[in-house]
Amino acid sequence: MKCVIEGNGVKVFGKAVHALSRIGNEIWLDPQEKGLAVRTVNSSQSAYACFCFTPLFFQQYIPDPDIQNGCEAVKCMLNMKCVLPLFRCASWKERRVDRCEISVNIPNSRVIFQFHCRHGITKTYNLGYQECEALQAVFPAHLCPNVLMAQSKLLGDIVVHFPVSQEEVTLSISSFKVTLKTFCEEENNCIKGMNTELMLHPDEFDYFQVGEDSAVTFCLKELRGLLSFAEPYGLPVNCQFGVAGQPVSFTVKDMTLEAHVVLSTLTDPNHESPSQPAPGDDCPVNVTNTSTAEITTCESPMETEVCVADGEHVASSQGSEVFNPDLHMRKMIQLHAPGEILPKLSLIPESALTTPVTPATSKIRSLLFGAVYSDGGKDKTADLPSLACASDTEDDGGTEE
Amino acid sequence: MKFRAKIIDVGCLNHFTRVVNTVSRLTKACVLRLTCDHLYFVLSGRVATGGVSMWCELSQVNFFDEFQLEGVSADANEIFLEVAPENFSRALKTAQNAKSVKIKLTKKTCPCLTLAAELPSLSSVSRVVTHDIPVDVIPRRLWHDFREPQMPDFDVSIYLPPLKTMKSVVDRMKNLSNYLVLEANLNGEMNLKIETDLVSVTTHFKELGNPPWGDDGSQSSSPTHRDPDLMAEARVDIKKLQQFLMGQQVNPSKAMCNIVHRRILHLIFLHEDVSLQYFIPAVV
Repeated sequence: MKCVIEGNGVKVFGKAVHALSRIGNEIWLDPQEKGLAVRTVNSSQSAYACFCFTPLFFQQYIPDPDIQNGCEAVKCMLNMKCVLPLFRCASWKERRVDRCEISVNIPNSRVIFQFHCRHGITKTYNLGYQECEALQAVFPAHLCPNVLMAQSKLLGDIVVHFPVSQEEVTLSISSFKVTLKTFCEEENNCIKGMNTELMLHPDEFDYFQVGEDSAVTFCLKELRGLLSFAEPYGLPVNCQFGVAGQPVSFTVKDMTLEAHVVLSTLTDPNHESPSQPAPGDDCPVNVTNTSTAEITTCESPMETEVCVADGEHVASSQGSEVFNPDLHMRKMIQLHAPGEILPKLSLIPESALTTPVTPATSKIRSLLFGAVYSDGGKDKTADLPSLACASDTEDDGGTEE
Repeated sequence: MKFRAKIIDVGCLNHFTRVVNTVSRLTKACVLRLTCDHLYFVLSGRVATGGVSMWCELSQVNFFDEFQLEGVSADANEIFLEVAPENFSRALKTAQNAKSVKIKLTKKTCPCLTLAAELPSLSSVSRVVTHDIPVDVIPRRLWHDFREPQMPDFDVSIYLPPLKTMKSVVDRMKNLSNYLVLEANLNGEMNLKIETDLVSVTTHFKELGNPPWGDDGSQSSSPTHRDPDLMAEARVDIKKLQQFLMGQQVNPSKAMCNIVHRRILHLIFLHEDVSLQYFIPAVV
């Protein structure tokens, strides 16, 4: 993989790295046909973020230089602590850096970041990486009943009311209003801290769709990275979610990049969510616009989830064997048999706005989302349903405005 | 007990926010005393605070458009609440461009001061942000702890030099010593002194002017009997003085201090509609 980013783009890339660093400690680089995906997940696997830079973003983008030899683009995992300092002084870098070249040296297992700066100075950083399966959360965005789209400034104005240290917030939606408030786990906690609640009218949003009245609780801290990325560029943010327990996704799109943050939400302890298996069930039906190949490869993980997630939600959150990430890694590798060449053609018709969608799902690197794995009591942001669904995040018909 | 108040004017809101910010910089917890005419932020001198006490008085008509109070009882028509001014400050911070701010005493899981701000929005319906600030209601039997402090029998009263200058002097002195001596006389002269084993530094201020207390107050010795050049001094913990100076966001109309020789430093800041008094005990 080799790519070249020119001056201003370096700043954007740096900001993306900053946003990702707010969530996870590792950064995954995944060069694909459609662009370079830079991803991270937090340690409890309850938050996932992905910035996908399309070829338009780069001065030059070669995902796979050894294509003739049949070598795949290598997927690398780097330590965030190694990458972040390279882009730390964003404003300084902007003035001085003419371009940045990122390449992967497979024999030495190094990702090389080379900054060509003014006055003929070149800074080269060789970072060791770990080769791994790509990290990708599969999120059935088009199945989300509730969709909000707002300018990032609006969201910025909303979250400013909450202290930076505030972890969880609850987003509630109904036909009349949208509410965001601090989440108190127990009665006692409320006494110590302040409770804040913000109420907005649906008119304030560029797009407002409420399919099902619901209230989802997620970690606000992990969203702030995306918002601070989007605000300077004035990009609109798309928010999709369902009922409590189902993950919430935030998306920012541009000609040159697409950023997603998917966060797990707390389940409502008051009722078992019978809709749990539903996304799994509906999935094969709804993705009629995707290729058959995708559906078949999806089915295996989905089936297992449906089995286990059926009804007994508490049991599944206790770390049942299906949600053991090791098991998933194994399943992922099974699906992607060794030696299988990834189809280069995209199987999904390109939409006007989005870049070509590779049959990423046919490679199914799905990492089932966090909370299904974490123990019930341990994490506050535990208890996520699995995200397995056939469609890739870019696929969602539901978000096309 | 009931309390409801409303601020509509943005200038009043900003001013009120500045006062609350100043108080929040001085102390982590204080008592908010509400009467029909006034609000008071009170910190009573305790060992825990190093004996420092504070009395901040606001006249409610200058800030609130609506103000309704029903106190503990008919003969004691007041409410005393223990509150963390930082919460109050934080709640007000994001409401600076609000169309209106309502403050109410409510009971959620615990007694709260609920601040509801109506914010401008992109639609016809305003955005409403509500903050619930937890408070503790102080029972009547403890009210005597939070009485208005008496004006001490001061020896010298003098106007302070420009706060910015004083603050920068104190900031630098803090690096050298933990204690500072503030001395002044009735000739408008004030010195800030520090003394350590290695070094002593004195900053002199002249022609500051002395407030004409005249017959007011409980001054025991009339000015004419006191030698105008005689200095009254108080040695105080420099951090406390610095904390007080740091907290000031607006230049007061009048800033003065009264010194009770070797006992207390009494600092008074007067704005148009707010008065702030701060007592720092002297150390030996």
